[in-house]
Amino acid sequence: MTTAILQGQADFGAERHQTDRAGYLLVAFFALPFFLFNILPVLFGVYVSFTRWSIVGTPKWVGLDNFHKAFTDQWVAVAFKNVFLYGLVIVPCVTGLGLLFALFVNKRYPLSGLARTLFFAPTVVSATVIGLVWVWMLDTQYGLVNYYLSFLGFDDIPWLTSTRWSLIGISIASVWWDLGLAFVLFLAALQDIPGEIIDAARVDGANRWQRFKHVILPHLRPVISMVVTLQLISTLRIFSQVYVMTNGGPASSSSSPIHYIYNLAIVRNLFGYAAAVSLLLFVLILAITVVQRFLLRERA
Amino acid sequence: MMTAWLDQKLEARGLERADLFIWPLGMAIAVLWALPFVWMVSTSFKFPGDVMTKDIEWLPHRVTLNNYIKVFDYPVIRWGFNSVVQATVSTFLCVLFGAMAGYALARMRFPGRDTLFYVFLASLMIPTEVSVIPLLLGFVKIGWASSYQALILPSIGNVFSVYIFRQFFLSFPKELEEAAKMDGAGPFNLFFRIALPLARAPAIAASVIIFTLNWNNFLWPLLVTFDESMKTLPVGIAAFTPVVGTQTQIEGYSVAMAAVTILSIPSLLLFCFLQRYFIQGLSQGSVKQ
Repeated sequence: MTTAILQGQADFGAERHQTDRAGYLLVAFFALPFFLFNILPVLFGVYVSFTRWSIVGTPKWVGLDNFHKAFTDQWVAVAFKNVFLYGLVIVPCVTGLGLLFALFVNKRYPLSGLARTLFFAPTVVSATVIGLVWVWMLDTQYGLVNYYLSFLGFDDIPWLTSTRWSLIGISIASVWWDLGLAFVLFLAALQDIPGEIIDAARVDGANRWQRFKHVILPHLRPVISMVVTLQLISTLRIFSQVYVMTNGGPASSSSSPIHYIYNLAIVRNLFGYAAAVSLLLFVLILAITVVQRFLLRERA
Repeated sequence: MMTAWLDQKLEARGLERADLFIWPLGMAIAVLWALPFVWMVSTSFKFPGDVMTKDIEWLPHRVTLNNYIKVFDYPVIRWGFNSVVQATVSTFLCVLFGAMAGYALARMRFPGRDTLFYVFLASLMIPTEVSVIPLLLGFVKIGWASSYQALILPSIGNVFSVYIFRQFFLSFPKELEEAAKMDGAGPFNLFFRIALPLARAPAIAASVIIFTLNWNNFLWPLLVTFDESMKTLPVGIAAFTPVVGTQTQIEGYSVAMAAVTILSIPSLLLFCFLQRYFIQGLSQGSVKQ
């Protein structure tokens, strides 16, 4: 990561001793809102997590109470368990389908530009669109999905209204929404593979599967690792589609950490506790990022 | 004879026989992938009585605009106005400030420059959701909840914009700058007169992507808007769900689908016309890391 980003640094040899003071001013316009509204709140949040704070009252220092509470709160456990299950469904689907779709579009068939547009389109619309469209698609009685599944002999599945299916229902919508980014990243990586390498393998008599396994896949390793990490993190942060489609229900069966944090703060007015739970989520996300960086470095 | 001719044809396109099967299958999946949008639009033009039925009509046998009219019983114009203000102002500031910072980080020398860039990059590891609760407390304390400042300010510091411009300006021809410097242009002149006008491609890429993010932003506007009149379009229209609000049970899915059709039009149009920039920007912004 660093080498690619810091290249170009050496261009300044001749002017080594010169300092462009205007540089500070040019950066300041961005840096000011960035530190005020993106960094400061995180530090403030650490303080908030050690207090009991409702939105109107004054904060009361409670030490580690909120964290103690979080570790024994069964709904925190449920939310984190759910998000683990979401990850188990969404991450492999997005990665696998994204790669398959990218391999297809990369082939430059007739109309592959159209296919690219169609595969990417859901990613650009808002969670509200995704949520409402899929609430309707997955409607138990009149939804399209159950209608077509009935031809395959399935009974009506209560996708969003049963504790058993709600996670799956939301996952389907999430895969549809999230796939575009993975797809585009895979497509860009595929287009970076020199065509001659693949042609050479073909001339040597490698079939499609062998070419994929021995030529294409090794090139894709870093992108796959990146897509898995990005998708894992974005799944840990799953909220809007949950909020729109089930509001975490029924009986918290589809709730997620952010959804629980939202409820703690907005519905129950427990801002200190909400901040503590969001710090726990942050630590989890940070750990995943660090592990991925470490694994990438090991391999390189 | 026939197969030899076929093989030759395929060979010329770099294809194999298996592609004769893969191509239609892949195209069918691509069309299938877009069907929820088709169903959304189709439902939005149906009479409510034709919606909740077991007869699936992809093309409704009779259509109405009534659902769209009903959507406007809710303050969607106000929500739309809020969304436009929020998304355009914060995107404009984010792209402009990002270009300035990206330029300085790529082309100027000053102590702390690289540290600053590392801090920007490292902040990508902080999910926005972590800062949302304390940010809300802060905005409430200073009396800015439910305001345009609250909707706009936190979206300006999007590092993606800095990153895209820095990448671009790293490979910017030095000669142009030098010539301008000879003429005695100061750094601001240099940036606004020479560098920025040539940075069209990264500016469009950053703008479309950041605009889409801002237009679709959900959690923060949901938290910070207590007044119905300050809601943004995605947050306001989310109330058409059968779960949170009560509207859908009364109005039915046809009105909800009309509402989300309206909501998705700006993003989909922007995407259709500027697809190239979307895809370039996204892959540049992430793959090269």
